[in-house]
Amino acid sequence: MAGIPITGSLVGDSSRPGQRTWANAIVRWLFICISLLFIAAVLLAPLATVFIMALSRGIEAYLHAFADPDTLAAIRLTLITAAVVVPVNTVFGLAAAWAIAKFEFRGKSVLITLIDLPLAISPVISGMIFVLLFGLHGWFGVWLQEHNLSIIFALPGIMLATMFVTFPYVARELIPLMQQLGNNEEEAAITLGAGGWMTFFRVTLPKVRWGLVYGMVLCNARAMGEFGAVSVVSGHIRGLTNTMPLHIEILYNEYNFVGAFAVASLLTLLAAVTLVIKTLVERTGYRRR
Amino acid sequence: MSIVLDQVTKHYAGLPVVNDVSLDIGDGEFFVLLGPSGSGKSTLLRAIAGLSGVDHGRIALHGRDVTHVAARKRGVGLVFQNYALFQHMTVADNIEFALRVRRMRAKARRERRRELLRLVALEGMDERLPAQLSGGQQQRVAVARALAHKPEVLLLDEPFGALDAKIREELRRTIRQVQRELGITTVLVTHDQEEAFAMADRIGIMHLGRLLEMGAPHELYSSPATRFVATFLGAANLFLARRTPDGIQIGATTVAAAERAGGERENEVVTVVRPEEVELAATRAALSSGYLASGTVDEVVFTGALERLRVRLEKHQEHTPLLSSGEADSTPTLQVTRTQHEQRGFEVRPGQQVAVGVRRVHVLPTPLSSFTACASSAARAEALTHQPLLAELVARMKTRIGTRIEPQLGLADAPCQGRDTFVGTTVISSGELCAQEAEWLLRRGARDLLALPPQAQVPHRVLIHWVGEAARSATLAISASVLRHVPAEAVYVGIVPGDAAGTGHGQGMRELLDARSEAQAAHGLDMRTELHYGEGERQLALRLAEAPGQMLILGVTALADFTTRFQALLQGPWPVLIVRRGRA
Repeated sequence: MAGIPITGSLVGDSSRPGQRTWANAIVRWLFICISLLFIAAVLLAPLATVFIMALSRGIEAYLHAFADPDTLAAIRLTLITAAVVVPVNTVFGLAAAWAIAKFEFRGKSVLITLIDLPLAISPVISGMIFVLLFGLHGWFGVWLQEHNLSIIFALPGIMLATMFVTFPYVARELIPLMQQLGNNEEEAAITLGAGGWMTFFRVTLPKVRWGLVYGMVLCNARAMGEFGAVSVVSGHIRGLTNTMPLHIEILYNEYNFVGAFAVASLLTLLAAVTLVIKTLVERTGYRRR
Repeated sequence: MSIVLDQVTKHYAGLPVVNDVSLDIGDGEFFVLLGPSGSGKSTLLRAIAGLSGVDHGRIALHGRDVTHVAARKRGVGLVFQNYALFQHMTVADNIEFALRVRRMRAKARRERRRELLRLVALEGMDERLPAQLSGGQQQRVAVARALAHKPEVLLLDEPFGALDAKIREELRRTIRQVQRELGITTVLVTHDQEEAFAMADRIGIMHLGRLLEMGAPHELYSSPATRFVATFLGAANLFLARRTPDGIQIGATTVAAAERAGGERENEVVTVVRPEEVELAATRAALSSGYLASGTVDEVVFTGALERLRVRLEKHQEHTPLLSSGEADSTPTLQVTRTQHEQRGFEVRPGQQVAVGVRRVHVLPTPLSSFTACASSAARAEALTHQPLLAELVARMKTRIGTRIEPQLGLADAPCQGRDTFVGTTVISSGELCAQEAEWLLRRGARDLLALPPQAQVPHRVLIHWVGEAARSATLAISASVLRHVPAEAVYVGIVPGDAAGTGHGQGMRELLDARSEAQAAHGLDMRTELHYGEGERQLALRLAEAPGQMLILGVTALADFTTRFQALLQGPWPVLIVRRGRA
């Protein structure tokens, strides 16, 4: 602009740094409004619908929905699955992140790519893999049947499928963190006389703890909400192999709207709790760093 | 001795990062490892701490061989550039970490912690978290933490790198004070020469993985042995000069040389003139020191106590070119610093004509001064100057390369075209006629001769061998000089006539051990040794043909049968540096 401000024009006004002009204000509000409207339409409205529908016949009917033994079984199954999957994936994630961040080895890039794989594959395919492996006509199907073991259409299958789709979360959260933090604190601990385990528990783990919790929270959220992969391997046996997301679908298809939305509201609440934990973690972690 | 390193070598991706470093550090000594980034100093420190292993050599701490002892059992304290404090622990917990590891009682821990916090002047900071401290305070905590378990050795890896100038100075004093108070042997790694001067009892300078020189700060500054140390440790102007019976002839003046004057015949040397040893005056007559040349002032920079100038010298004399002033510029200018007192005596403005004098000249003991490409035609000599290895050597040695045309090169009985004097190292190209040309040049007075194949690159392994004892000492001196500029492994090849059961065995062994100890004692060069049986020239050719990237430095005395003996050696795709000394 050759140094001469073009007074009055939108460009000239809004690009002047540190000045609050009317154009500046308009642009700011425009963007805020667009974001809010979008969130309202896409996020808040559906979420509100869940609670409105769940409570449409009153609180009595809402609570009654949870008395159904099949519903309770679905809740229990979901919680058990999450309780197993999250710790297992935490251990795996820590080990993988440690290996990738601290060592140079052959096939490192292959390992990194493999960790990302479940994020790229459709969940349905993820379920199918296990059916192909452990199903009746699968590779190990006959052997499993002979030994009277059931994986597909049973709890182990559900856990395996859930584990598969959720295993990137902890590792992906920790790898960049560990790479960024480097090795110096561990090396300091070693020169001070600490052994391997002590260094891990007293230095490394506390160092990455917020990243770890964050990864676990994300992993848990996905484990409880997973539909596609679990749907393929569960067999939809009511009261036995139905997780909460699957159970919601069944209830909905049976026109039991109150029941479906009641369970959905519980799942939403669990997700909300997870998110609150995540926010708290982010804030504490941020303040600490 | 507190720390003894013996031929420590560490390779990374095939290249030596730390190359045959031997070093003794005394009890309570403050030793500074100084070098540019990538010189291997940090790797060496980590090797002493045990955080990285070594491929070859031994490390001993207080007489205990710790080469294969885990880092946690070495009893060293290590301080990092970025502090590496445990962020989630308080200052107290950080300092007590090593004590907790050793299961010390709470009361004893507390006492030790108090003592350490007093030592680093951080009393009362016990309950703070690292994030609540300034950079300087964090580094003090790191020092206290490293000292908690009363280590025998304190290692500091660029501890002031992340701090600003003022804090740096303060922390420097603290660390030096703590070190004196505890009398703890300390090794500090830095790339900052001012820091090294301020703190060290002794400085060791590293470059390309080698420990080039070590000594007290003032010794290293006033009489460096290598070009690298001269230019890295403070500013330096490097000149080519002539050593004559009267002294060192530099420019228009002859300066009495304090260094060993007698013995050697007249030859070319590399000299160091520090910027503060240069005198400027309006006329030659007004100089109080020896007149060097006249020049034009290019630049004047005021820096407070000192004034820095750059003076472009007029081309004055053939034999006294300014090689370098430490910076990579095509036409080097003379660096000068003057005190306020000198400035008042003679004020200078850019563009002004001045007479330049030198007060003191230091002669580098390096036997390699300049290179002269010699061929039968101008085009060939010119082509030879662009040979990759030669160009690399010239750049690294900050020296110059001339050409010399000898149309009758190699022809029997033909006299020399130029004067019979040969200056510096003469370079010829390898090939079928090479041995003949080499003999021709050697017979006419050339002393150091480098035969280069067209495509040879910087070698990673240098074989050293001599025929005739008279050439030994010069060969070792030249090898040491070459290896200061090339990150290669040095190998002395001893050859015993006959087979393994032969009679020459004991003699060969003795020669080999003598060679190694002389290389180490007189030239600071650590080398490997190999012993082979058979005929000398054949064995050398076999060794050179084994792998690419090798070079040979060959000492010779007698010239009888030279061409037939060394024909095969001088034809191969490897560079050969021939050193001829003594008369048979």
